Amino acid sequence: MMLDMQSEMILNEYREKLPIYEKMKTVILQLLRTYLDENHVIVSGLEARVKSEQSLAGKMELKSYKYHSLEDITDVVGARIITYYCDEVDIISALAEKLFEIDWENSVDKRKMLEIDRFGYLSLHYVCRIPEALYKDPEIPQINQIRFELQMRSTLQHVWANMYHDIGYKSDVEIPLEYQRNMTRLAGMLELADEQFSHIRKEINGYRRMVQTMVTNGNFDEVPLNGDTFRSFLKLMPFKNLANKIAAINQGEVYEDNLMPYYNVLLHMNMKTIGDIVRMCNDYSESAYQLALIQLAGTGLDIVAYSVAVQNLCIVFILEKGYGEAGLVRLFEALYGENDYHQQRAKRIYEQAKKINLI
Amino acid sequence: MIVTINKQDEKTFVVLDGRVDSSNADQFQKDVAPLMEGDNTDIDIDCTNMTYTSSQGLRVFLLLQKSVSSRNGKMVMRNMDPRVKEVFDITGFSNIITIV
Repeated sequence: MMLDMQSEMILNEYREKLPIYEKMKTVILQLLRTYLDENHVIVSGLEARVKSEQSLAGKMELKSYKYHSLEDITDVVGARIITYYCDEVDIISALAEKLFEIDWENSVDKRKMLEIDRFGYLSLHYVCRIPEALYKDPEIPQINQIRFELQMRSTLQHVWANMYHDIGYKSDVEIPLEYQRNMTRLAGMLELADEQFSHIRKEINGYRRMVQTMVTNGNFDEVPLNGDTFRSFLKLMPFKNLANKIAAINQGEVYEDNLMPYYNVLLHMNMKTIGDIVRMCNDYSESAYQLALIQLAGTGLDIVAYSVAVQNLCIVFILEKGYGEAGLVRLFEALYGENDYHQQRAKRIYEQAKKINLI
Repeated sequence: MIVTINKQDEKTFVVLDGRVDSSNADQFQKDVAPLMEGDNTDIDIDCTNMTYTSSQGLRVFLLLQKSVSSRNGKMVMRNMDPRVKEVFDITGFSNIITIV
């Protein structure tokens, strides 16, 4: 590689400053990681690098007219945040603006640079500095002076950029128009897919919010039973009164365990809406309590799991519907898998249910 | 209650013999305390000779289960006498602890 004298001087300065660049890379990564965590932002990728000497030399060979000093090259240190969705890039950029000093003159939004009939590289590039208020090392004051590049793009934008880089830049020969056109078609497809993913995510979030509102407002018959709605419903602690009443049999306490395993059981019991569960609770709570009473009274067992309430409700529901011991065995199999205990347990409960006139 | 703990490779085997009630629950908790730390995350408890557990015993099993879960481990109780299993069933503890 043939470089002019100015480029050689820039390379020498780069070698001297390399430890500072490495330190900057570490600091930037740490600052970004902490800031994203603090703001509860989940990203697909966070990376940083110091441009290699070979890459820097290559850049200067191509555009030596552009660079008069190392300071003119703003991407010696570079960081990249990869979001899951394209609409999150703007959120990330807003956070970056709060975190770093942005050199607006040299920052580029490549998403807005493409002509209306062109598809290709979409990414937001900010040229930044680390403000002293954020990080300061008296021994390395340059950390606050040297600019670095922060790239922000979505996962699919990243995929396209990586593939294009691999196919386009590594090729020694000029790529025929036909293949370039195919790459452009792919860029268009990925851009559409990116937007669709964002759109679908927004619609799902909207649906979740709507369902949560319906659950909170008590419109239970309008809420279909699914994993999301059941989880929201459980937040209302719908079985708490029954669990407390059962625990009180021995002046005991309730341990709040996870009720999500009952979601599939309730589906098997043909529950279609949250309203169906509420009705089961209203109709069978007293019998479920009576069953607990005959089982727990006199045992001195003064701790019960929260799930004992829904467990007994399901047992009563099955017996009331006439599914008998076989129905109980199916319930236990759905909850715990196959086990020799189930038959014996079902038989015992069936006898107890007879004693309290459940059947 | 006699507690025997054996570690084989990555797995910890525990054998319980006797009953847990208010008279020995504190000692039982001390006996199983080593299982609540370190790399004891895959615990297999043989209950063949366990004859009874009171709610004090249930609380110790709950502590053990929570400790194992917090370390992303797995705890299984096996060969439980039906009368002991009934205690776990009627309190809902069968929903918390894996019994095979």
